[in-house]
Amino acid sequence: MSDRITTPEGRECLQGLMRIWFDFERRLGRVPVIQRLERGRFTLEDHRRLLRHLRQQVVEGARWITRGASSFDRDYAEVRSMVIGHAKEEHRDYEMLEADYVAAGGEHAAIVGGQRNAGSEALHAFMMYRASQPNPVDLIGAMWIIEGLGQKMAGDWARRIDEATGGDGAWTRFMRYHGEHDDAHLDKLYVLVDRACRGEADRRAILRTARVVARLYALQLEEVDHDDAA
Amino acid sequence: MSVYITSTGHHLPGAPVDNDRIEEVLGRVHGKPSRLKRRILASNGIRTRHYAIDADHRTTISNAGMAALAGRDCLEQGYVPDTRLDLLSVATSQGDLVLPGFGSMVQAELGLPDLELNTSHGICSSSMMALKAAFTALKADEHDNALVIASELASRLFKASRYEAAGALADFDAEFLRWMLSDGAGALLLETRPRGLCFRIDWIRGISHADAFPVCMSVGRPKAGEDRESWQDYPTYAEAEAAGALLIRQDVRLLDSLVKLGVDGLLRLIDEGRVVVDEVDHLLCHYSSHHFRGRIFEMLTQAGAAIPEEKWYTNLYTRGNTGCASLFIMLDEFRRTQAPAEGDTVLCFVPESGRFNNVYMHLTVIKEDAP
Repeated sequence: MSDRITTPEGRECLQGLMRIWFDFERRLGRVPVIQRLERGRFTLEDHRRLLRHLRQQVVEGARWITRGASSFDRDYAEVRSMVIGHAKEEHRDYEMLEADYVAAGGEHAAIVGGQRNAGSEALHAFMMYRASQPNPVDLIGAMWIIEGLGQKMAGDWARRIDEATGGDGAWTRFMRYHGEHDDAHLDKLYVLVDRACRGEADRRAILRTARVVARLYALQLEEVDHDDAA
Repeated sequence: MSVYITSTGHHLPGAPVDNDRIEEVLGRVHGKPSRLKRRILASNGIRTRHYAIDADHRTTISNAGMAALAGRDCLEQGYVPDTRLDLLSVATSQGDLVLPGFGSMVQAELGLPDLELNTSHGICSSSMMALKAAFTALKADEHDNALVIASELASRLFKASRYEAAGALADFDAEFLRWMLSDGAGALLLETRPRGLCFRIDWIRGISHADAFPVCMSVGRPKAGEDRESWQDYPTYAEAEAAGALLIRQDVRLLDSLVKLGVDGLLRLIDEGRVVVDEVDHLLCHYSSHHFRGRIFEMLTQAGAAIPEEKWYTNLYTRGNTGCASLFIMLDEFRRTQAPAEGDTVLCFVPESGRFNNVYMHLTVIKEDAP
């Protein structure tokens, strides 16, 4: 896989991204709702609440990706194409999430009418802001975290949720869906790192955005147990 | 002040036991052959190991006895007489007695007079913690030498009668380690001066993540669903055993996190400039199972930080996984059989799944100047 990374700058960037990811995973291990999941004390109500909170951010996901795509100028045409492709693949995935919510016994109107929690607000605002900057190569850092989380949901969370709630996969379709394209997505990210990380400033920006997104995503998950407004 | 490993030793009890004979020694639970054995052995790749119990479940040598023989083997190849030893630093996962500390028992067994004592407690990484305590004591000029010993007698936990006492068939988590762990001891002699061809310890670094992960390997913890937290919370020890609280357990689903943390730690050390991947000549990694070697290598390759496989050295497949003793037994055999050259660098890595403590060590092969 790493043969897709051809530059020393790209390699250093990838190592930094991996470390930020591992740190993020440890942080997730301290989030109450995820601790309940890992200890098998996770209820169907927990799952509905988790989906309700996630949906408010997922539904906006296509916006920052497409805005990000439009912020790349002609020097980054290839990167822009890849980002557009990514947006096209994922821009309706919130519908699957909503269907899972209904399958888990939730009311469709409740999830559609939900509010963003404090973490989702911060994450959404930060992503839209970064995506609006010229040539926002640092979005690779955001994609790294969000893509990694998609894989974690598919490879680990979906199974744990079904075990803990007695499910047969009917309400974990959204989480599982993200696992199906694992390798293809990761390969694309490697190519993006290779093409877009052209110097130290790019590397720093990518790692910084990855760190911020990881922190805000964890905050979003922490808020699942704090904020009942959503 | 530099600190050197000037001698090494080991003790592996009895004759090697191959895969077909494991159950002859450990016994068949309720008289039935294990269904998991073949699968777990295929995954871990271990072909032979040693046990300090015989087929009648008599202990052939105590844990302290093995530790003492490894220590003696190490001292006999070194230049420091017993009476000049300054510090004895000892590790095990479970001593022969609950109290006192294992170090006291090993000191008595070796008959070493008037020295400072340290016992470290834990699982696989406890040997590295004992080694670091000795390393820093010498660095701080507290002592001129230290004998460090790590010893394990896990097989007592694996007797068929233990599982039978815990009732019905053992669950996967409780049986897993039965096909992984075995017995043995290793020892290192540390001095503040080099001797012949020896290892200089450049640094030892541990990184623990207990705050972020649940318990992954344990003894004394009841299985999920019991309302007690510890074997000591039962009215009698018999009730604790009947509830399965004395079985050694591994939550195998958490093991992939250990691989990630191991790679994370290495990337951190690369970032700090302590490890330069291209300059590592030998990697001694205490992976518990061949399966994890593949996972670690894969992830390091992904990070562009792979250490080529021909630089990996292990004796896991023939000496078994002896927990905290593994790295010392490995380093001892490496020193005796691989003839590392002056100036070679050796990176050692001991991940512990207990509650996720990883320890790294960097050595350089040094040749003592001719007098």
